[in-house]
Amino acid sequence: MQTTVVGNYPKIGPGAQAPSLRAAIQRYQAGRISEDDLHDVAAEVTKEVLADQARAGLDVVTDGHIRWDDPYTYFASKIDGFDLNGLIRYFDSNTYFRQPVAERKLAWTGPITVADYRFAAENSAKPVKAVVVGPYTLARQSSWPHYNSLQEVVMDLASILNREARALADAGAPLVQFDEPAILRHKDDLPMFREAMSRLVDGVSSKTAVYAYFGDISGLAKEFLSLPFDVIGLDFVMNPANFDLLGDFPADKKLGLGIVDARNTKLETVDEIVEQIRRASNSVGLDRIDVSPSCGLEFLPRANAYGKLVRMVEGVARAQEVLS
Amino acid sequence: MTGGLLTTAVGSYPKPDYILKSRTKVSRGQMSKEELFELEKKATAHWIKLQEDMDLDLLVDGEMYRGDMVTYFSEEMEGFDISGLVRSYGNRYYRKPIAVGPVGRSSDITVSWWKYAQSLTARPVKGMLTGPYTIVDWSFNEYYPSREAFVLDVARAVHEEAVALEKAGAKYIQIDEPALSVRADEMELGSRALGIVTEGLNAFTITHTAEYTHTYAESSELFDIIANLPVDMLDLETVNSDYFILDLFRHRSLAPDKYIALGVVDSHTHEVEPVEQIKDGIRRGLEVFPADRLYVKPDCGLKTRLEDEAVGKMRNIVTAARELKAELGIA
Repeated sequence: MQTTVVGNYPKIGPGAQAPSLRAAIQRYQAGRISEDDLHDVAAEVTKEVLADQARAGLDVVTDGHIRWDDPYTYFASKIDGFDLNGLIRYFDSNTYFRQPVAERKLAWTGPITVADYRFAAENSAKPVKAVVVGPYTLARQSSWPHYNSLQEVVMDLASILNREARALADAGAPLVQFDEPAILRHKDDLPMFREAMSRLVDGVSSKTAVYAYFGDISGLAKEFLSLPFDVIGLDFVMNPANFDLLGDFPADKKLGLGIVDARNTKLETVDEIVEQIRRASNSVGLDRIDVSPSCGLEFLPRANAYGKLVRMVEGVARAQEVLS
Repeated sequence: MTGGLLTTAVGSYPKPDYILKSRTKVSRGQMSKEELFELEKKATAHWIKLQEDMDLDLLVDGEMYRGDMVTYFSEEMEGFDISGLVRSYGNRYYRKPIAVGPVGRSSDITVSWWKYAQSLTARPVKGMLTGPYTIVDWSFNEYYPSREAFVLDVARAVHEEAVALEKAGAKYIQIDEPALSVRADEMELGSRALGIVTEGLNAFTITHTAEYTHTYAESSELFDIIANLPVDMLDLETVNSDYFILDLFRHRSLAPDKYIALGVVDSHTHEVEPVEQIKDGIRRGLEVFPADRLYVKPDCGLKTRLEDEAVGKMRNIVTAARELKAELGIA
C-alpha cells in the first residue's frame, strides 16, 4: 500500500514558517510588492507544503496547488480561447470558482504546469505526482458560446490537456492524475467520456490516474473501472456505496482509496482506517491500493489537514500489519 | 398591510468604514467590544433612518453587528467551537463553526438587536435568523452521527429564538436558507427543519433561498418542496438568473396562503438600475403572481455594495413600486 493526497493543500495556517501567502496577495493587490515577489512567496509556501506531506509520511505528494485559485482557472487562464466569468459554487461545497467561458476555439499554446512540476520535484523529498484538470469536468463547469455541443468542447479540451500531460511526462512526472468529479453527476455522458479519456492519455509515457470524488460509480462501475488509466481514484467517504462496486476491479490497475474525510475536521481513528482498508481489500489486493483523503484537503484548516495525513499514515501502517 | 407591491430588503446593508476598521481593531485587541457595540448601534440607527427616508414598508436592521450569517449564530449557541481559517475563493478566508457537543440555545441571540432596531421606528422591522440547514451545511461536525440529527437539533434551537423574537413583539420573522437547495437529496430534510422553526408561530414568516434553482428546476417533486416551504413568504433571487425562476411558477398556481418577495435589482452589480427597468421586472412578476401577494426587494442582501449604490437601488425600487401602484390603481 502507498499513501498519497488527492490534490490541494491549505495555503495558510498557524505555525507556518513560510511567509503568509494571504498577506502577500493583499500586498500585491495593493501594489506594494511585485509579481516576482508574490511568485517567491508562493514558492516558499510550496516548499513548506511539500515538507509537511513528507513529514506526515506520505509516499507520493503534490505541490499543493498553492498557485491555483480554484480547480479550473489556473488552466483556463492559460488555454487560449477562454475568458473568465463570475463566481459559481463548486459542487455542493461552500467554496467558489470563476467560470471559464470558451469565447473562441480553444488551443494549447504552451505548458501550463510544467515549470511548477519541475520546481516541486526539485524541492521534494518524495515523488511528486502532477495533477491536471479533466477535460470533461472543465467543459461541464464552463460555458462555451463558441461551440455547438458539449462533446466538441470536451474533445478539444482532451487534445489540449493531452499535450499538457505529455509535456509533464517528458519533464519526468512519474504519474499524471486527471480529476473528473463531474462525470459522476452526468452518468449518461459515459460514452463521450470514454472517447475523451482515450484521447487524453494517448502517447502519455508516464503512469496515469483518474480521480472522481463527490459521487459513486453505481450504474457505470464496470465501464468506469476499465477506463484507460493505471490508477482509478474514488471517494469512499461521501459515497460508501463505492465499497460494494469494486467486484469488477481490473487486476492490472491500482485503486485510489479515498477514506479520510477531507471535508470534515473530525479526526478518524486508526481502527476506522484499518476497517475501511479491510473492506476494500475484499476486492483489491493491498499491494494495489493507494490510500488517500476523499478529495483535496483545502476544505480544512491546515492543522486539521496535517493531522489527518499523520493519522492516515498510522492507519495504513497498522492495516499493513493486521491485514497482510 | 394590504394592497400589494409592498417594499422590503433582504437583510444586510453595507457596513460603514468605521465599523469595518473597528472590527479589525477589536480582533487585534486595540478596541473594546463595548466601544464597537456603541458604533454598531449608531450604524443600525443610520440605516433605520435611511429606510424611513426611502419610505420602505418593511425594514431590516441591516446586520451591522454580524460578520458571517452562520458564524454569528454558532458563536451564540451551545455546542459549537470555531475552526481555523479555510478559503472560500480567491484570497478570502473564513472560520467555520464545528459542532463539538449537543447544539442548543441557552440565551437570546438576536432579540436585543431586534428590540433596539424596532425601538427606532414605528414601521415593522423583521427579525432575522439563519436557518438550520444552512447552519449545518456551513459547519464542520465532530459530534453528531448523522446530518439529520445535527439539522434537527439546530432547528429546535432556532425555533426557540424565533419564539423569543415573537414574544418580544416581532411581527415578521425571516429565516434565511441559502444552502437549502444545494443538495436534491436533502431538500426534504431542510424543509422539515424549517417547519420545526416556524411551528406554532403567529408572526408572518419568510425564508430567503438563494441560487441553485436548477436543482429544483429539474424535477416537479423538488419544485413542490420549494413552493410549499412551511413559511408565509418565499423570498426569491430572480434578477441574477434573468427571471428564470418565474417560469417555474408560471405553470402552477401559487398556494393561496403564500406570498412572494421578488428580487427586482441585482445585489452584485455596481449599477443602480433605472426605475423603468425595475418596473419592467415587477411587471414580469405580476404576470405570474397577484399584486396583493407580491413584495418587491433586491435579489439578496446588499452588504457587498457601496452605501450610495445600496441606497440608490432601494430608492428606485420604492419609486418603481409607487409608480406602478398608481398606474394599476393599487392602494
